[in-house]
Amino acid sequence: MSEAEDLEIPEQKPCVSCGASIDPNNKFCKNCGTRQSDEDIHWLEKKWTLLKQASLFYLIYIGLCTLSRFTDTFKTIPWFLFLEVVLAGTAVIFFALNWAENKQLLIWRNFSWQKLAAYAAIAITMAFLVHYSVNWLNITVFSRDDHYYSIFAGSKGASFLIILCTAVTPALFEELGFRGYLLQTLIKVTDKEQAVYISAFLFAIIHLSFVSLFWLIPFALFIGYVRIKENTLWYGVFFHFCFNLTACLFELL
Amino acid sequence: MCFYLTGEIFKIISPAKSYNLYLSTFILTLSITCIMENVLPAPPIERCAHCYAEVKNDDVYCTNCGYPLKGSELDQRSFIANNEIVHIDIAEFHKKVRSAGNTLYYLSGLFVVSGIINFFILKNNPNVLAVVIPIFILAILFLALGGYSRKQPLACLVSGLCLYIIVQAILAFDNPVNLASGIIIKIVIIGYLIKGIKSAIGLEKIKKENNIA
Repeated sequence: MSEAEDLEIPEQKPCVSCGASIDPNNKFCKNCGTRQSDEDIHWLEKKWTLLKQASLFYLIYIGLCTLSRFTDTFKTIPWFLFLEVVLAGTAVIFFALNWAENKQLLIWRNFSWQKLAAYAAIAITMAFLVHYSVNWLNITVFSRDDHYYSIFAGSKGASFLIILCTAVTPALFEELGFRGYLLQTLIKVTDKEQAVYISAFLFAIIHLSFVSLFWLIPFALFIGYVRIKENTLWYGVFFHFCFNLTACLFELL
Repeated sequence: MCFYLTGEIFKIISPAKSYNLYLSTFILTLSITCIMENVLPAPPIERCAHCYAEVKNDDVYCTNCGYPLKGSELDQRSFIANNEIVHIDIAEFHKKVRSAGNTLYYLSGLFVVSGIINFFILKNNPNVLAVVIPIFILAILFLALGGYSRKQPLACLVSGLCLYIIVQAILAFDNPVNLASGIIIKIVIIGYLIKGIKSAIGLEKIKKENNIA
């Protein structure tokens, strides 16, 4: 294809196989019949590798979360903080694996106070609803589990640590791991809708509380939807922070 | 007189004549338009014999499905045969996805049975609900995932597999012996789910490429 031709018909592109100029919307070359696809032929292996990488990330999370929940080792403050650091590190490392693409998610485009206030309001309302319904469930059906707060009981600056460990770090690093790395990887494997469903369900069950699933799944679906709609992690981080902070203040006040 | 008459006639005829002329021109134009549009159509719209998409006269291959428009009969037949193979692949993937979905139903049933057994073992224990309710929640979750796996196979199979692995991890931490009990069944279940996930990815991709809804 000569340069003059190229200038005349700018919407033409060369066929991937024979080089004939064809309409970019065509799925096959009119000249040689080759499929015009940007994805290479090893798509199944590529998607499978991505899925395996995501499952490694998730298995690390499962291992650490069950370990902290079902053994007594992590019920002391230093070990608990160590676990938090490892979980945060895992999220950051996996997020950084594809830094060139994922850094787009850290850019806060179209910052708006109204939106931020709206998300905060939704988060606080949701936290109220969840608090009262969970309390009701716990009292009527189950014995309470004060896992988080009993660790810090009696230590100096307990409330500061509780706010840090329940509101700040989970909001930041869970969002980075689940809405950042995991959702972004799943979008490459499947369509957006299914990717949001999968990441929401995986996020909900990692909390290892089957009774809390009734609010965790809608919560995670909402943040996943916000993340896709706004194309930034920060609204989700803020929403998650407001929610956890409200829940946390219920316990402290 | 004659002059006058001719003049008059001319006067009478000429408007009619010009009118006739106008009319005939109009009819002529109309008929030409008709001929142009219907009787003698400009190059007819050609359609691909395989996918019925519109194709241009000089296209050697269909730009929508890759069918060899100008190819020999052999080329065209082998194209159709290859396309059949794609459909066989789809059927194969469907089968695997379906059996993985059935595995989720099977798991649901397994949890229902274990919930009932636990209920009767712990009948006199005050914490009976705390044990039985999570088991029934799991049964409901697997049932829902199995049902929804017909619609969104990948999401349900990945979720089901992760849920199953978490349950096994919790059981193993509770008592390491749990990990070994029924290990073959566990491996078979995980194997079916993984195969289903792989097929679900393949299915989505093939369907997207071949415009199958």
